[in-house]
Amino acid sequence: MKASDFASLLPDHCSEVLDAMYFTTVLESTIDPNDASDDPCGPDRPLPNVDDFAFQLRFTGDVSGRFGLCLGASTARGLAANFLGEEESDISPTEVAEVIGELANMLCGAVMSVVPSKHKFVLSHPEPVLGMPHSRAHDLLLATLATDSGDIHTWVTVEGNA
Amino acid sequence: MAYNILIVDDSPAMRRVVKRVVDLSGVDTGKYLEAGNGIEALVVLRSEWVDLIMTDINMPEMDGEELLLQVRADAMLASIPVLVVSTDKSEARIKQMMESGADGYVSKPFMPADLSEQMHRLLGGGGTPDEGF
Repeated sequence: MKASDFASLLPDHCSEVLDAMYFTTVLESTIDPNDASDDPCGPDRPLPNVDDFAFQLRFTGDVSGRFGLCLGASTARGLAANFLGEEESDISPTEVAEVIGELANMLCGAVMSVVPSKHKFVLSHPEPVLGMPHSRAHDLLLATLATDSGDIHTWVTVEGNA
Repeated sequence: MAYNILIVDDSPAMRRVVKRVVDLSGVDTGKYLEAGNGIEALVVLRSEWVDLIMTDINMPEMDGEELLLQVRADAMLASIPVLVVSTDKSEARIKQMMESGADGYVSKPFMPADLSEQMHRLLGGGGTPDEGF
């Protein structure tokens, strides 16, 4: 399986999670399987804004790799408020980070659940990251989800097939 | 009758969301008990009366599957209903957890009404399903 094979899975299944638990609608999704150079999170670069949120987790199974996301602080606060059912002003930065980590976990879980596999996938725990994989070093798929809460940049790398 | 409910998830945010769903479910709730993994859950289970366990699968230290197996292997805990709440909605995973002794399975993302319905089913009453949804 290649990273580009996730192109048909990622938008729909991410949209389902965002709609059901973050009360956020995906307005448009953009897939770029080849070039990360224009991504605002930047390959092997620091995040463009120090208060951006980026999380990544590993999936291991018939296909193994990484799933990650990056989003701006305003978008993150809005999603956290929707998820927790509380006012943005009542939510601490730590709580926002917890919610975005859980978002990464749910998006990855939703996508991997529909990947054909003879064995169960094991997901690692979401960890904050300062950049994203480099397209020259990895089989990489990038997808930007434009939502009514702001843009969410996601990526999938495929690093091995059983 | 008020039911004590143990929510097991390594995400504090998800525990808050599940608790909110429980609040709105109409289930007469006594204590909310929380744990961040299976080990912490077993500590709670051996010190508190619990009527329902709601557990994630993917957690550090001890995952939900091992927790389920340990609960079912412990004569003092074996009869407690276990509802799995997980991002993994693959048929293989659901089948495995049900064969390991889970009483119900709700995949994330979930609709609050679905979680509420499963809680009412496992607790055998204790309120009106879908109250508040």
